[in-house]
Amino acid sequence: MEKILKVKDLKVHFPVKGGVFKATKGFVYAVDGVSFDVYTGETLGIVGETGCGKTTLGRTIVSLYRPTEGEIIFKDKNLNKLNKRDLLELRKDFQMIFQDPFESLNSRHTVRYIIEEPFAIRAIGDSKWRKNKVLDLLDKVGLSRNVLDKFPHEFSGGQRQRIGIARAIALNPALIVCDEPVSALDVSIQSQILNLLMDLQKEFSITYIFISHDLTVVRHVSDRVAVMYLGRLVEIADADSIYSNPLHPYTMSLISAIPKVWGKAQEKRIILQGNIPSAVFRPSGCFFHPRCPYATDLCQREYPQLKNYGDENNIHMAACHYAKNDL
Amino acid sequence: MFKLNPLTIEQLKRFKSIKRGYYSFLILCFLILFSLLGELFVNNRALIVYYNKKFYFPTYTNMIPGTVFGLGYEYETNYRELQKIFKQDSQGNFVIMPLVPYDPFETDKLDGSYPPFPPSIEKKHYLGTDKTGRDVLARLLYGFRIAIFFSLLLLIFEYAIGITIGLLMGYLGGRFDLFFQRIIEIWNNIPFLYAIIIIASIVIPNFFSLLGIMIFFGWIGITWYVRTATYREREREYVLAAKVLGASTARIIISHILPNILSVIITFVPFTIAGGITALTALDYLGFGLAPPTPSWGQLLSEATEFHVKAPWIGISVISSLVVILTMVTFIGEAVREAFDPKMYTTYE
Repeated sequence: MEKILKVKDLKVHFPVKGGVFKATKGFVYAVDGVSFDVYTGETLGIVGETGCGKTTLGRTIVSLYRPTEGEIIFKDKNLNKLNKRDLLELRKDFQMIFQDPFESLNSRHTVRYIIEEPFAIRAIGDSKWRKNKVLDLLDKVGLSRNVLDKFPHEFSGGQRQRIGIARAIALNPALIVCDEPVSALDVSIQSQILNLLMDLQKEFSITYIFISHDLTVVRHVSDRVAVMYLGRLVEIADADSIYSNPLHPYTMSLISAIPKVWGKAQEKRIILQGNIPSAVFRPSGCFFHPRCPYATDLCQREYPQLKNYGDENNIHMAACHYAKNDL
Repeated sequence: MFKLNPLTIEQLKRFKSIKRGYYSFLILCFLILFSLLGELFVNNRALIVYYNKKFYFPTYTNMIPGTVFGLGYEYETNYRELQKIFKQDSQGNFVIMPLVPYDPFETDKLDGSYPPFPPSIEKKHYLGTDKTGRDVLARLLYGFRIAIFFSLLLLIFEYAIGITIGLLMGYLGGRFDLFFQRIIEIWNNIPFLYAIIIIASIVIPNFFSLLGIMIFFGWIGITWYVRTATYREREREYVLAAKVLGASTARIIISHILPNILSVIITFVPFTIAGGITALTALDYLGFGLAPPTPSWGQLLSEATEFHVKAPWIGISVISSLVVILTMVTFIGEAVREAFDPKMYTTYE
């Protein structure tokens, strides 16, 4: 399969500044050495707790943040080495859907202005052409055509997210990074938006990177799933494989936390102690060892590398010293 | 395409519903308009002269010499005299004078006494005259015109500079922000009044140079607020969304951030206007403002202190006008602040 996006050893560190002269006192290691590929047409889910760096990762992929180190190669072009003009041109091909539809739409602009902005920025088409295009897009995302001159606050959360989606697909992008697109919505609305996203994927063959903390949602939409912990990937594999056979204890605990509707009650539920550690002062060795029920001395000393524990056809990478043991 | 945001409409409605502020706003607008047309109401040139079956409208025309109306002099016609002469002649000629037939620069000499003259309806000095015999009402009106337009121009230029720098400081951050922060701190510590007094003692300022000096020291005020508001706005997701779409910095600042911080700016406008009027009056009072004989409230105030026993009408009229105007501006300011208060109507439900 063709790779649309290659992320190589990506690091995004934010300096922590303080004092009179704003000296750098340390770094937040928001994303610290993440590598993965995204194949054309698939949906890659990225899950993790709050503060694990998944939003930063998504924003870096769409060039909102500059990576400290590493490369993002989109359609064989290194995003960080492009000049402004080329980047603007390439931006057509990757877009983002934001978490909070209340925040991501400028409350001072009409729906029409919001959706036609991608065209306005690139000076595509005249006013009439743009209006028709906006009406088209409204149809596609399931909004009625008479909302053109309304303002975002006149809509419900789900409708607003549809406006956000219309804006994101306006330029026919190949890749869309969805940053928790449904977590601010009611459950009943969530499924509508998810189905809309999946329909659009089929219609326009869009590739998604789907960031979420909700494992059920990720399972519903994703072909492959990556699990992040404190700025690093701890496991990445096919969705089925990861949900049926998680290798990393962190993934196991996440999956065991999914509420079950059918079948008998959970036999073994792993409840993690404590919070996610600080991304400024990280634990030694495996970042997960302070919370891991299986941690040993080795885990305290050494960070486990991400290795493939599956086979050629079914790659299942995990970063745990004891992934091979049946924990 | 221009369409008012329903939020804005809501704010305007609320402003209208605060009666005190709304009526003050209407009255002030009326007064500004009235002062613009001041020549029609307070002027020593006649509105209409009918002479030898011809109409003359001298208000806005060039000076008409006395010879035109059969008077024996080449300088500008004294229309008040002309009116008396026509009345005596009773040949059908007439002169219609404005309500107050005096110019703010003109000294009215009465025989046998020294100015200031007390208010007199008969002589049409409704608020009396100042120490050189100039009509107080005329000077009040033209002084108001100068003060309010000075203040408005000050506002426009100060805000243009302050908002631009504030937006850039907030949005760009980093070194630019740091540099201007220090600049503003230094600027703030220059004693404004002293600086103006020193400059005014070297060159006597006219309207525009005084305006320039005041802008030079005054742009700081709004800059801080705009910077802070921009800082808050730029981290919001709609700005990120615009960036992902590829919007340029100029586009993000002008069409995304600026409309969102407008309500912060508007809140300060009336208070800045009041501040401008007060500052100009204070400088004039101290004698470092606009050069005499420019009609000004500050200069009237200083005369009022000089003649507070002999001519209390000067003090009474100028102080009460100052109080009324400043109170109205403050009322407007309060109403605007209340109407635009984000706590009352947020974008969050």
